[in-house]
Amino acid sequence: MTQVASETSFQMDDLIVRIAETQDQQAFSELVELAAPRMKAYAIRCGAGVDDAEELVQECLLTVWRKAHQFNPKAARSTTWLYTIIRNRRIDMGRKNKLDIVQSDDLWPEGETDLLEDDVERDLTGKLVRTLLHSLPDEQRQIVFKVYFEGKSHSEIAGELDLPLGTIKSRLRLAMKKLDTLAKEQVSWLTIILIMNF
Amino acid sequence: MANYHPNHELLMQFAAGQLSNALGIMVACHIENCEECRAVTQNYEHLGGDILESLETIELSPDFISRTLSKLAEDAKSPEPASAAPPVVDARLPKPLQRFLPNTLESLPWSGISSSIQQFDLTISDRQYTARFYKIKAGKELPQHTHKGNEYTMVMDGAFSDESGSYHKGDFILADTSTHHQPKAHADCDCICFAVMDAPLKFTGFWGRMLNPFMR
Ligand SMILES: [Zn+2]
Repeated sequence: MTQVASETSFQMDDLIVRIAETQDQQAFSELVELAAPRMKAYAIRCGAGVDDAEELVQECLLTVWRKAHQFNPKAARSTTWLYTIIRNRRIDMGRKNKLDIVQSDDLWPEGETDLLEDDVERDLTGKLVRTLLHSLPDEQRQIVFKVYFEGKSHSEIAGELDLPLGTIKSRLRLAMKKLDTLAKEQVSWLTIILIMNF
Repeated sequence: MANYHPNHELLMQFAAGQLSNALGIMVACHIENCEECRAVTQNYEHLGGDILESLETIELSPDFISRTLSKLAEDAKSPEPASAAPPVVDARLPKPLQRFLPNTLESLPWSGISSSIQQFDLTISDRQYTARFYKIKAGKELPQHTHKGNEYTMVMDGAFSDESGSYHKGDFILADTSTHHQPKAHADCDCICFAVMDAPLKFTGFWGRMLNPFMR
Protein backbone atom coordinates (compact mmCIF):
# COMPACT_ATOMS: atom_id res chain seq x y z
CA MET A 1 0.00 0.00 0.00
CA THR A 2 2.85 2.36 0.86
CA GLN A 3 4.41 1.58 -2.50
CA VAL A 4 1.22 2.43 -4.38
CA ALA A 5 0.77 5.65 -2.46
CA SER A 6 4.28 6.89 -3.17
CA GLU A 7 3.91 6.09 -6.88
CA THR A 8 0.86 8.33 -6.78
CA SER A 9 3.03 11.05 -5.32
CA PHE A 10 5.57 10.85 -8.16
CA GLN A 11 2.82 10.73 -10.75
CA MET A 12 1.37 13.89 -9.25
CA ASP A 13 4.80 15.59 -9.31
CA ASP A 14 4.89 15.12 -13.09
CA LEU A 15 1.31 16.26 -13.59
CA ILE A 16 1.88 19.50 -11.67
CA VAL A 17 5.03 20.21 -13.67
CA ARG A 18 3.08 19.66 -16.91
CA ILE A 19 0.38 22.06 -15.71
CA ALA A 20 3.03 24.67 -14.94
CA GLU A 21 4.88 24.29 -18.22
CA THR A 22 2.07 23.99 -20.75
CA GLN A 23 -1.21 24.74 -18.92
CA ASP A 24 -2.12 21.17 -19.83
CA GLN A 25 -5.83 20.63 -19.08
CA GLN A 26 -5.49 16.88 -19.58
CA ALA A 27 -2.81 16.80 -16.86
CA PHE A 28 -5.12 18.86 -14.67
CA SER A 29 -7.99 16.39 -15.08
CA GLU A 30 -5.67 13.49 -14.24
CA LEU A 31 -4.44 15.32 -11.16
CA VAL A 32 -8.03 15.96 -10.06
CA GLU A 33 -8.77 12.24 -10.34
CA LEU A 34 -5.72 11.29 -8.27
CA ALA A 35 -5.73 14.01 -5.65
CA ALA A 36 -9.31 15.18 -5.18
CA PRO A 37 -10.76 12.05 -3.52
CA ARG A 38 -8.04 12.17 -0.84
CA MET A 39 -8.44 15.91 -0.38
CA LYS A 40 -12.16 15.41 0.10
CA ALA A 41 -11.43 12.78 2.73
CA TYR A 42 -9.15 15.26 4.51
CA ALA A 43 -11.86 17.95 4.50
CA ILE A 44 -14.45 15.55 5.87
CA ARG A 45 -12.11 14.27 8.57
CA CYS A 46 -11.63 17.93 9.55
CA GLY A 47 -15.37 18.28 10.11
CA ALA A 48 -16.67 19.61 6.79
CA GLY A 49 -20.04 18.60 5.39
CA VAL A 50 -20.09 17.10 1.89
CA ASP A 51 -20.83 20.41 0.10
CA ASP A 52 -18.25 22.40 2.02
CA ALA A 53 -15.73 19.64 1.44
CA GLU A 54 -16.19 19.72 -2.33
CA GLU A 55 -16.07 23.52 -2.37
CA LEU A 56 -12.81 23.43 -0.42
CA VAL A 57 -11.30 20.81 -2.73
CA GLN A 58 -12.35 22.80 -5.77
CA GLU A 59 -10.76 25.97 -4.43
CA CYS A 60 -7.56 24.07 -3.73
CA LEU A 61 -7.46 22.65 -7.25
CA LEU A 62 -7.89 26.12 -8.74
CA THR A 63 -5.03 27.28 -6.51
CA VAL A 64 -2.94 24.38 -7.80
CA TRP A 65 -3.62 25.51 -11.37
CA ARG A 66 -2.67 29.12 -10.61
CA LYS A 67 0.39 28.32 -8.53
CA ALA A 68 1.71 25.26 -10.35
CA HIS A 69 4.74 27.30 -11.47
CA GLN A 70 5.69 27.69 -7.80
CA PHE A 71 5.89 23.96 -7.29
CA ASN A 72 9.48 22.79 -7.37
CA PRO A 73 9.69 19.00 -7.46
CA LYS A 74 13.31 19.29 -6.32
CA ALA A 75 12.23 21.16 -3.21
CA ALA A 76 9.11 19.35 -2.04
CA ARG A 77 6.97 16.33 -2.72
CA SER A 78 3.62 16.99 -4.35
CA THR A 79 1.76 15.47 -1.40
CA THR A 80 3.41 17.88 1.03
CA TRP A 81 2.72 20.79 -1.31
CA LEU A 82 -0.94 19.79 -1.72
CA TYR A 83 -1.22 19.32 2.01
CA THR A 84 -0.04 22.87 2.73
CA ILE A 85 -2.50 24.21 0.13
CA ILE A 86 -5.52 22.43 1.59
CA ARG A 87 -4.47 23.23 5.17
CA ASN A 88 -4.20 26.93 4.33
CA ARG A 89 -7.45 27.02 2.35
CA ARG A 90 -9.26 25.26 5.19
CA ILE A 91 -8.09 27.97 7.58
CA ASP A 92 -9.17 30.75 5.21
CA MET A 93 -12.50 29.33 4.15
CA GLY A 94 -15.29 31.58 5.30
CA ARG A 95 -13.05 34.29 6.68
CA LYS A 96 -12.19 36.12 3.49
CA ASN A 97 -12.32 39.88 3.82
CA LYS A 98 -12.28 39.73 7.59
CA LEU A 99 -9.08 41.67 7.85
CA ASP A 100 -8.73 41.61 11.60
CA ILE A 101 -8.68 37.83 11.64
CA VAL A 102 -5.57 35.79 11.15
CA GLN A 103 -5.30 34.23 7.72
CA SER A 104 -2.97 31.59 6.37
CA ASP A 105 -0.82 34.21 4.61
CA ASP A 106 -0.05 35.68 8.01
CA LEU A 107 1.06 32.33 9.36
CA TRP A 108 2.97 31.17 6.29
CA PRO A 109 4.13 34.24 4.35
CA GLU A 110 4.76 33.18 0.76
CA GLY A 111 8.05 32.99 -1.02
CA GLU A 112 10.15 32.17 1.98
CA THR A 113 11.27 28.66 1.31
CA ASP A 114 14.71 27.71 2.37
CA LEU A 115 15.87 26.14 -0.84
CA LEU A 116 18.95 24.35 0.33
CA GLU A 117 17.17 22.85 3.28
CA ASP A 118 14.26 21.78 1.11
CA ASP A 119 16.56 20.21 -1.45
CA VAL A 120 18.01 18.17 1.32
CA GLU A 121 14.66 17.05 2.60
CA ARG A 122 13.44 16.17 -0.84
CA ASP A 123 16.37 13.83 -1.48
CA LEU A 124 15.81 12.22 1.84
CA THR A 125 12.09 11.84 1.70
CA GLY A 126 12.25 10.63 -1.88
CA LYS A 127 15.07 8.14 -1.73
CA LEU A 128 15.84 7.11 1.78
CA VAL A 129 12.81 7.14 3.94
CA ARG A 130 9.41 5.73 3.30
CA THR A 131 6.67 7.45 5.05
CA LEU A 132 7.13 8.61 8.58
CA LEU A 133 3.53 7.86 9.23
CA HIS A 134 3.66 4.15 8.52
CA SER A 135 6.44 3.67 11.01
CA LEU A 136 4.10 4.58 13.86
CA PRO A 137 2.12 1.97 15.79
CA ASP A 138 -1.67 2.31 15.46
CA GLU A 139 -2.25 3.74 18.92
CA GLN A 140 0.22 6.55 18.27
CA ARG A 141 -1.07 7.19 14.77
CA GLN A 142 -4.61 7.57 16.08
CA ILE A 143 -3.51 10.42 18.36
CA VAL A 144 -1.49 12.13 15.62
CA PHE A 145 -4.64 12.03 13.43
CA LYS A 146 -6.63 13.74 16.15
CA VAL A 147 -4.09 16.56 16.27
CA TYR A 148 -4.07 17.00 12.48
CA PHE A 149 -7.79 16.69 11.79
CA GLU A 150 -9.49 17.87 14.93
CA GLY A 151 -6.95 20.15 16.58
CA LYS A 152 -7.54 18.28 19.80
CA SER A 153 -5.49 18.98 22.87
CA HIS A 154 -4.05 16.20 25.00
CA SER A 155 -6.76 16.43 27.60
CA GLU A 156 -9.58 16.40 25.04
CA ILE A 157 -8.11 13.30 23.38
CA ALA A 158 -7.81 11.63 26.77
CA GLY A 159 -11.48 12.30 27.51
CA GLU A 160 -12.60 11.02 24.14
CA LEU A 161 -10.59 7.80 24.23
CA ASP A 162 -11.34 7.36 27.92
CA LEU A 163 -7.65 7.03 28.76
CA PRO A 164 -5.55 8.72 31.43
CA LEU A 165 -3.99 12.03 30.34
CA GLY A 166 -0.54 10.63 31.10
CA THR A 167 -1.05 7.80 28.60
CA ILE A 168 -1.96 10.24 25.82
CA LYS A 169 0.98 12.45 26.62
CA SER A 170 3.44 9.61 26.61
CA ARG A 171 2.04 8.13 23.38
CA LEU A 172 2.27 11.46 21.61
CA ARG A 173 5.73 12.02 23.03
CA LEU A 174 6.80 8.60 21.74
CA ALA A 175 5.32 9.34 18.33
CA MET A 176 7.07 12.68 18.10
CA LYS A 177 10.35 11.22 19.30
CA LYS A 178 10.17 8.56 16.63
CA LEU A 179 9.44 11.15 13.96
CA ASP A 180 12.31 13.33 15.13
CA THR A 181 14.69 10.39 15.20
CA LEU A 182 13.69 9.52 11.65
CA ALA A 183 14.24 13.11 10.61
CA LYS A 184 17.69 13.13 12.21
CA GLU A 185 18.59 9.80 10.61
CA GLN A 186 17.73 11.35 7.30
CA VAL A 187 20.19 14.12 7.97
CA SER A 188 23.03 11.76 8.85
CA TRP A 189 22.31 9.69 5.75
CA LEU A 190 22.46 12.83 3.70
CA THR A 191 25.82 13.74 5.15
CA ILE A 192 27.16 10.36 4.07
CA ILE A 193 25.79 10.80 0.55
CA LEU A 194 27.27 14.26 0.29
CA ILE A 195 30.67 13.01 1.39
CA MET A 196 30.57 10.25 -1.19
CA ASN A 197 29.55 12.59 -3.98
CA PHE A 198 32.03 15.40 -3.44
CA MET B 1 19.48 33.15 17.52
CA ALA B 2 16.84 32.08 20.02
CA ASN B 3 17.74 29.90 23.00
CA TYR B 4 14.18 29.08 24.09
CA HIS B 5 11.82 27.39 21.65
CA PRO B 6 8.17 26.31 21.35
CA ASN B 7 7.76 22.65 22.30
CA HIS B 8 7.17 20.04 19.62
CA GLU B 9 3.51 19.61 20.46
CA LEU B 10 2.97 23.27 19.54
CA LEU B 11 5.04 22.95 16.37
CA MET B 12 3.01 19.91 15.32
CA GLN B 13 -0.26 21.74 15.99
CA PHE B 14 1.08 24.68 14.01
CA ALA B 15 1.99 22.49 11.02
CA ALA B 16 -1.44 20.91 11.32
CA GLY B 17 -3.00 24.39 10.99
CA GLN B 18 -4.74 23.89 14.30
CA LEU B 19 -3.44 26.68 16.53
CA SER B 20 -5.87 29.46 17.30
CA ASN B 21 -5.27 33.00 16.01
CA ALA B 22 -2.88 34.57 18.47
CA LEU B 23 -0.87 31.50 19.34
CA GLY B 24 -0.45 30.66 15.66
CA ILE B 25 0.90 34.15 15.00
CA MET B 26 3.34 33.83 17.87
CA VAL B 27 4.72 30.51 16.63
CA ALA B 28 4.95 31.97 13.11
CA CYS B 29 6.96 34.91 14.52
CA HIS B 30 9.40 32.59 16.23
CA ILE B 31 9.81 30.35 13.21
CA GLU B 32 10.59 33.29 10.94
CA ASN B 33 13.97 33.63 12.59
CA CYS B 34 14.57 30.15 13.98
CA GLU B 35 15.96 27.71 11.43
CA GLU B 36 15.81 24.84 13.88
CA CYS B 37 12.08 25.14 14.55
CA ARG B 38 11.42 25.83 10.89
CA ALA B 39 13.03 22.51 9.99
CA VAL B 40 10.97 20.69 12.63
CA THR B 41 7.79 22.32 11.31
CA GLN B 42 8.67 21.25 7.77
CA ASN B 43 9.00 17.67 8.96
CA TYR B 44 5.53 17.92 10.45
CA GLU B 45 4.31 19.27 7.11
CA HIS B 46 5.78 16.21 5.42
CA LEU B 47 3.88 14.17 7.95
CA GLY B 48 0.76 16.08 6.94
CA GLY B 49 1.50 15.14 3.33
CA ASP B 50 1.88 11.51 4.35
CA ILE B 51 -1.41 11.63 6.19
CA LEU B 52 -3.15 13.12 3.17
CA GLU B 53 -1.65 10.43 0.95
CA SER B 54 -2.68 7.63 3.28
CA LEU B 55 -6.36 8.58 3.56
CA GLU B 56 -9.05 6.33 2.17
CA THR B 57 -10.39 8.07 -0.90
CA ILE B 58 -13.94 9.46 -0.91
CA GLU B 59 -15.73 9.58 -4.22
CA LEU B 60 -16.62 12.98 -5.62
CA SER B 61 -19.94 14.04 -7.11
CA PRO B 62 -20.20 12.80 -10.71
CA ASP B 63 -20.06 16.31 -12.15
CA PHE B 64 -17.17 17.47 -9.95
CA ILE B 65 -14.52 17.42 -12.66
CA SER B 66 -16.67 19.21 -15.23
CA ARG B 67 -17.70 21.84 -12.67
CA THR B 68 -14.09 22.38 -11.74
CA LEU B 69 -13.00 22.68 -15.36
CA SER B 70 -15.67 25.26 -16.13
CA LYS B 71 -14.68 27.23 -13.01
CA LEU B 72 -11.14 27.12 -14.35
CA ALA B 73 -12.24 28.61 -17.66
CA GLU B 74 -14.20 31.30 -15.80
CA ASP B 75 -11.18 32.19 -13.65
CA ALA B 76 -8.96 32.45 -16.72
CA LYS B 77 -11.20 35.25 -18.02
CA SER B 78 -11.02 37.28 -14.85
CA PRO B 79 -7.59 36.91 -13.26
CA GLU B 80 -7.45 37.43 -9.54
CA PRO B 81 -6.25 40.93 -8.64
CA ALA B 82 -2.89 40.79 -6.94
CA SER B 83 -3.40 41.48 -3.26
CA ALA B 84 -1.37 44.40 -2.00
CA ALA B 85 1.32 43.61 0.54
CA PRO B 86 0.47 45.05 3.97
CA PRO B 87 2.37 48.24 4.80
CA VAL B 88 5.48 47.75 6.88
CA VAL B 89 5.00 49.72 10.06
CA ASP B 90 8.13 48.63 11.85
CA ALA B 91 10.74 46.60 9.98
CA ARG B 92 12.10 45.20 13.24
CA LEU B 93 8.88 43.29 13.84
CA PRO B 94 8.40 39.76 12.49
CA LYS B 95 6.35 39.66 9.30
CA PRO B 96 3.38 37.73 10.74
CA LEU B 97 2.67 40.60 13.14
CA GLN B 98 3.15 43.54 10.77
CA ARG B 99 -0.47 43.69 9.69
CA PHE B 100 -1.82 43.80 13.24
CA LEU B 101 0.16 46.74 14.61
CA PRO B 102 -0.93 50.31 13.92
CA ASN B 103 2.46 51.85 14.59
CA THR B 104 6.12 51.42 15.45
CA LEU B 105 6.93 49.88 18.82
CA GLU B 106 7.80 53.28 20.29
CA SER B 107 4.62 54.97 19.09
CA LEU B 108 2.07 52.32 20.06
CA PRO B 109 -0.77 53.69 22.19
CA TRP B 110 0.63 52.10 25.34
CA SER B 111 -1.49 52.23 28.44
CA GLY B 112 0.00 52.19 31.87
CA ILE B 113 -0.42 49.46 34.45
CA SER B 114 2.25 51.01 36.61
CA SER B 115 5.24 53.28 36.04
CA SER B 116 7.42 50.31 35.24
CA ILE B 117 5.09 48.32 32.99
CA GLN B 118 2.77 49.27 30.14
CA GLN B 119 0.57 47.27 27.81
CA PHE B 120 -1.01 47.33 24.38
CA ASP B 121 -3.85 44.95 23.44
CA LEU B 122 -3.69 43.33 20.02
CA THR B 123 -6.74 42.84 17.81
CA ILE B 124 -5.95 39.17 17.28
CA SER B 125 -7.28 38.17 20.69
CA ASP B 126 -10.01 35.55 20.48
CA ARG B 127 -12.30 33.64 22.77
CA GLN B 128 -9.55 31.32 23.87
CA TYR B 129 -6.54 33.61 24.04
CA THR B 130 -5.78 37.22 24.86
CA ALA B 131 -2.87 38.74 22.96
CA ARG B 132 -0.98 41.81 24.10
CA PHE B 133 2.34 43.57 24.12
CA TYR B 134 4.07 44.42 27.39
CA LYS B 135 6.78 46.99 27.85
CA ILE B 136 8.92 46.73 30.96
CA LYS B 137 11.03 49.82 31.57
CA ALA B 138 14.79 49.29 31.46
CA GLY B 139 16.09 47.91 34.76
CA LYS B 140 12.60 47.59 36.32
CA GLU B 141 11.30 44.50 38.04
CA LEU B 142 7.76 43.14 38.14
CA PRO B 143 6.23 42.03 41.43
CA GLN B 144 6.46 38.31 42.14
CA HIS B 145 3.51 36.58 40.46
CA THR B 146 2.10 33.38 39.08
CA HIS B 147 -0.33 32.64 36.25
CA LYS B 148 -3.95 31.56 36.17
CA GLY B 149 -3.48 29.54 33.01
CA ASN B 150 -0.84 29.17 30.34
CA GLU B 151 1.03 32.25 29.27
CA TYR B 152 3.25 32.23 26.19
CA THR B 153 5.76 35.04 25.87
CA MET B 154 8.05 36.03 23.05
CA VAL B 155 10.71 38.72 23.46
CA MET B 156 10.41 41.32 20.69
CA ASP B 157 13.01 43.82 21.82
CA GLY B 158 15.43 44.16 24.73
CA ALA B 159 15.82 41.35 27.26
CA PHE B 160 14.61 40.22 30.67
CA SER B 161 15.63 37.71 33.30
CA ASP B 162 13.92 35.70 36.01
CA GLU B 163 15.05 32.98 38.39
CA SER B 164 15.21 30.38 35.62
CA GLY B 165 17.01 32.25 32.89
CA SER B 166 17.78 35.22 30.73
CA TYR B 167 15.61 35.84 27.67
CA HIS B 168 16.48 37.72 24.52
CA LYS B 169 14.91 38.72 21.22
CA GLY B 170 13.16 35.75 19.59
CA ASP B 171 13.04 33.59 22.72
CA PHE B 172 9.75 31.74 23.25
CA ILE B 173 8.80 31.08 26.86
CA LEU B 174 5.89 29.17 28.40
CA ALA B 175 4.80 30.03 31.93
CA ASP B 176 1.97 28.13 33.66
CA THR B 177 0.32 27.86 37.03
CA SER B 178 3.47 26.29 38.48
CA THR B 179 5.64 29.25 37.46
CA HIS B 180 6.31 31.80 40.19
CA HIS B 181 8.59 34.46 38.89
CA GLN B 182 9.76 38.02 39.12
CA PRO B 183 10.88 39.15 35.66
CA LYS B 184 13.34 42.02 35.47
CA ALA B 185 14.20 43.98 32.31
CA HIS B 186 17.88 44.32 31.56
CA ALA B 187 19.30 47.72 32.35
CA ASP B 188 20.34 48.84 28.87
CA CYS B 189 16.92 49.23 27.23
CA ASP B 190 13.16 48.76 27.65
CA CYS B 191 12.02 45.18 27.15
CA ILE B 192 9.06 44.60 24.84
CA CYS B 193 7.30 41.24 24.93
CA PHE B 194 4.48 39.70 22.94
CA ALA B 195 2.30 37.66 25.31
CA VAL B 196 -0.57 35.28 24.67
CA MET B 197 -2.66 34.17 27.64
CA ASP B 198 -5.46 31.70 28.17
CA ALA B 199 -8.52 33.91 28.44
CA PRO B 200 -10.68 33.32 31.53
CA LEU B 201 -13.46 31.85 29.42
CA LYS B 202 -12.47 28.67 27.70
CA PHE B 203 -14.61 27.11 25.04
CA THR B 204 -13.78 23.56 24.24
CA GLY B 205 -15.07 20.92 21.88
CA PHE B 206 -15.16 20.99 18.13
CA TRP B 207 -17.99 23.48 17.65
CA GLY B 208 -16.68 25.85 20.28
CA ARG B 209 -13.51 26.57 18.40
CA MET B 210 -13.07 30.01 16.93
CA LEU B 211 -10.77 28.49 14.38
CA ASN B 212 -13.33 26.14 12.91
CA PRO B 213 -13.86 27.46 9.38
CA PHE B 214 -16.90 25.30 8.72
CA MET B 215 -19.04 27.12 11.23
CA ARG B 216 -20.62 29.84 9.15
ZN1 LIG C 1 13.07 27.77 17.72
